[in-house]
Amino acid sequence: MNNDTPALEIKELRKTYGKSVAVDDISITLPRGSFLGLLGPNGAGKTTTIGCIVGVHKINGGSIQTFGFDVEKDYRESRKTVGIAPQEFNADFFGKVGKMLDFVAGYYGIPQVQRQKRVEELLEQFNLTKHKEKGFNELSGGLKRRVILARALVHDPELLILDEPTAGVDVELRHELWGYLKKLSEEGKTILLTSHYLDEVELLANRFAFIDEGKIVADGPKEKMLAGGKKLEEVYLELTGKKNAV
Amino acid sequence: MNLIGLQTIIRREMERTFRVAVQTIFSPVISATLFIFVFGSIVGTRIDEIGGVSYITFVFPGILIMNVLTSAFTHSSSSVYFAKFVRSIEEMLVAPLSYFEIMLGYVISAVFRALIVGITIVLIGILFGAVVMQSFPLFFAYIIGTAVVFSLLGIITGLVAKSFEQLNILSTFIILPFSFLGGMFYTLEMLPEVAQTVTLFNPFFYFVDGIRYAMVGINDSNLLIGAALIFGLVAALGGLVWRIFYTGWRIRE
Repeated sequence: MNNDTPALEIKELRKTYGKSVAVDDISITLPRGSFLGLLGPNGAGKTTTIGCIVGVHKINGGSIQTFGFDVEKDYRESRKTVGIAPQEFNADFFGKVGKMLDFVAGYYGIPQVQRQKRVEELLEQFNLTKHKEKGFNELSGGLKRRVILARALVHDPELLILDEPTAGVDVELRHELWGYLKKLSEEGKTILLTSHYLDEVELLANRFAFIDEGKIVADGPKEKMLAGGKKLEEVYLELTGKKNAV
Repeated sequence: MNLIGLQTIIRREMERTFRVAVQTIFSPVISATLFIFVFGSIVGTRIDEIGGVSYITFVFPGILIMNVLTSAFTHSSSSVYFAKFVRSIEEMLVAPLSYFEIMLGYVISAVFRALIVGITIVLIGILFGAVVMQSFPLFFAYIIGTAVVFSLLGIITGLVAKSFEQLNILSTFIILPFSFLGGMFYTLEMLPEVAQTVTLFNPFFYFVDGIRYAMVGINDSNLLIGAALIFGLVAALGGLVWRIFYTGWRIRE
């Protein structure tokens, strides 16, 4: 793996659902170690783009590579590099927290001894140790969110994708999560974050990409996008054409 | 091959099986025990021998294979459907697992569950004096082959079904009636001529007849047709499941 290879390279991505075009000719290049805020209104194509990166959706056109690995042709290698915390909880409701993490680590081919160690580490890190034997459906919304985040990190991915990770969580966990994401970013992990909380994206990300109606309408580093002391919300409303609606 | 991944799918599936053991293990075993009791100790004692064996010995292979195939089918259909319904299937879709490994994981775990149910029923059958064995290798081959066929059918059903009601259509309208009418309780010659001909087009007849030959040593059909049917179905259904995973129909849309 060449160190100059971007963490994520999306070229002319197209995704359709029947006749409806969800993502239309999107191209994004994400250098290693960057923290991207992918922004856009509901239904703009953010989650679909993420689904194409991680392999939940089939791609209709274009290509995606993570660390130089094509997500379809080199899917095994590509998927090892990516961790995903989706917007909606996609877990076995009746499964126990500890087991869930252990199973997911197993899917990534992590041997038992390393797997147990990693699961214990993550349970500790996300204050989930005392909930280890609880079923996922027995947890509060905030605890479920922690489990989903721990699950995304179980194989120690280089690219972490977080689709609205703070939706429905209390202020305490939001701040805790911000601290954790900053730490991961400082350690060199590449992060792609979508959120409707623009303050959080402005605080954490060093790059932004704006998507609207399936197209990228602007992207670039934070200093360029927020030049002239603009606030992210202002830029967002300008780019999505909603400024006059306020 | 991601062997740890494959092993994990099987481990997870077996854990799910034991988590709801009343439904997955005890229910079919109790149902089979009642069949064995009724046909062995109540009705069976009033019926003449068939092919030189007691009635319970004659019907036992049918009872066994019906529970084996139902267990395999129910396991994979409900597991795939539930994983699709709660979207936990995405945990596997985003992991470095091939379609073949996912398919194999479901099939092996469904066969394991069918074997647990099957072995328990055989042990109960031994207690009732209902079990004889002519060829253990053939018996084992029929059990495994049939379980594989129905686990693949279960995966397809789980993928196709859009509701819990749809999930039960195949078992209610195909599996249950076809296995009852597949010679479980009677020989072919007991039927009118037309019904005999119709039965020869019922694939379940060959599963029941094959396992009966392996256990009791009597058969109504050409065993080669049964063996070819099982091999053909494994190949065709296996190919179809792989194709569905590959195209992402109903899972990666």
